Parts: sequence; structure tokens; C-alpha cells
Amino acid sequence: PLPFIAASPKTDSQGLIMPEDKFHKLADDTIHDLLEKLEEYGDSQQMDGFDIDYGNQVLTLRLGDLGTYVVNKQTPNRQIWLSSPVSGPARFDWDAATDSWVYRRTGVNLMRLLEKEIGELCGTPVDLS
Amino acid sequence: MMLRAAGKRLIGAPGIRPAAAGDSSGAAMAVAARRGYHERVVDHYSNPRNVGAFDKDDADVGTGLVGAPACGDVMKMQIRVDQASGKIVDACFKTFGCGSAIASSSVATEWVKGKQMEEVIAIKNTEIAKHLSLPPVKLHCSMLAEDAIKAAVKDYEAKKTKAAKAEE
Repeated sequence: PLPFIAASPKTDSQGLIMPEDKFHKLADDTIHDLLEKLEEYGDSQQMDGFDIDYGNQVLTLRLGDLGTYVVNKQTPNRQIWLSSPVSGPARFDWDAATDSWVYRRTGVNLMRLLEKEIGELCGTPVDLS
Repeated sequence: MMLRAAGKRLIGAPGIRPAAAGDSSGAAMAVAARRGYHERVVDHYSNPRNVGAFDKDDADVGTGLVGAPACGDVMKMQIRVDQASGKIVDACFKTFGCGSAIASSSVATEWVKGKQMEEVIAIKNTEIAKHLSLPPVKLHCSMLAEDAIKAAVKDYEAKKTKAAKAEE
């Protein structure tokens, strides 16, 4: 058998993957929450070229010349996918133990990653918790 | 079964198709241009390098298979290694997926040829993405190509270890 890497969805202790409706609820809540907080941040920052767009369940955050973030759901994998102009692509699984989305490869938390990067790029801290 | 179904779905979708022989049809180019693909991506899509397959049972071949049909991207990358020097002498790929995925894996096979295995596992998805000017949504494709290289190397090393153990 070939070593088939990466694309199997995370399973729970019973070897089951998250039911799809639960995934959509969790992921949609996360992304909507992110959208709201980033919109507020954008309004408070008055940054040139700051633009947030949410369409077809894809969140796009443009930070002018500093780059563009894209956040979207990857339903077959039960993941949230991030594309960052700083750290590149990453895939987050729901971690029930910490009630958060975690990138298995590095252990990083989605919100903490975005807070750190966006805060540094824009020069002002952002709270996404 | 899944791959065949995915193939049928993909063939019908504009701009998406399995990497087959080079096809510089006007239709494909027009779609690509409309979507704003970088010319390097269009080039790799129309004239993919190193499409094909080696015999995965050859002792000097490493095979990496990454992705999932359900996600829309599957890449199979193979390397042929010169056992004495550890140098990759040949590479090939087959990819189901978007133009960026095809281009990323095509670039990866070009870059690994003539290199040592330790060198190629240092190839970063960001380098592939930069070379192809991939837009943010397509960075995931370059990550998959990086994973495919690593998987092929890992497979070859595992085979080598197994063969060495068998000789003991």
C-alpha cells in the first residue's frame, strides 16, 4: 500500500469523523465571528487598502500591499483552510479538548496565529478570542 | 472508483482536468486567460513536464501519493534514485486537480531532478508558489506538491531500509 499522506479527516476516540452538520455549525460560527471582529478592527484602524469580503462562504481579508488572507471551509476534511501572506497555507482541525481550531502539523491555534500576524502587519494588536 | 468518478466530473468542468498529454488547445488557453492564471501556470498546464509513471515496485523508485479526490486534488509523484550516489535521476507525476495543482506538481518534478534527497526535502511550498505567482487561494496546491516530494522520498527510504534489513 502506498503511503497516503495528509488528507484523512481527524477522527474521534471511536474512529468516527465529525458529522457534517456539526462541522458546518462550528466552522460557520468561527468564520462569522472572525468576520465580525475583523470588520470592527478594520473600522477602528482606518487602514489604507483594508478590505474584508465574505462571499460563497469564503472570507477574504485584504491588507493593501501587505497581502491577502483567505479563510474557507474544507468540508470533506472537516477543516478550516487558511492562506496567509506571512506563513502560507495551513489546515486547521477542530480540537474538542481546547474548543479551538488547531493546525496539527505545528500545533498552532488559528485565532492566535491570526492575532499575531495581523497585529504585527498592521502595527496594532487585534483580539480575536 | 472514486478517481474515475472524479475524472468524469473534472473533465466536464472548464479549466480542470487530469494531467494528460500536452494539449495547447485554444479553448484551454482561453479559459486560463479569463481566470487570470500566470503564464507559467498556463505553460505547465498546456505543456506539463514529466507526466507519467514508473513501476512502483522498482527498487530505485519512490512513490508519494497525497491529497484526496473528495477535496478535488490528488497528486502522485515518483522519483527514480541512483542508489550509489543518492541522486534523483528522474521524476514523474500524475495529478487530478486544478491548473495550479498540475503546475505545482509539474514544477516539483523539474526541480527534484539531478538533486540529492536531502536537498529536495528542503524545497518549500512558498518557492513553488512564488515561481508560479500563485494567488492566495492556490497556495494549498503548492503545499500539496511539497508534501508529494516528501512522500516520494520517504517511500524510497522506507524501501531501501526494508531491502537492507532483508539482506541481513
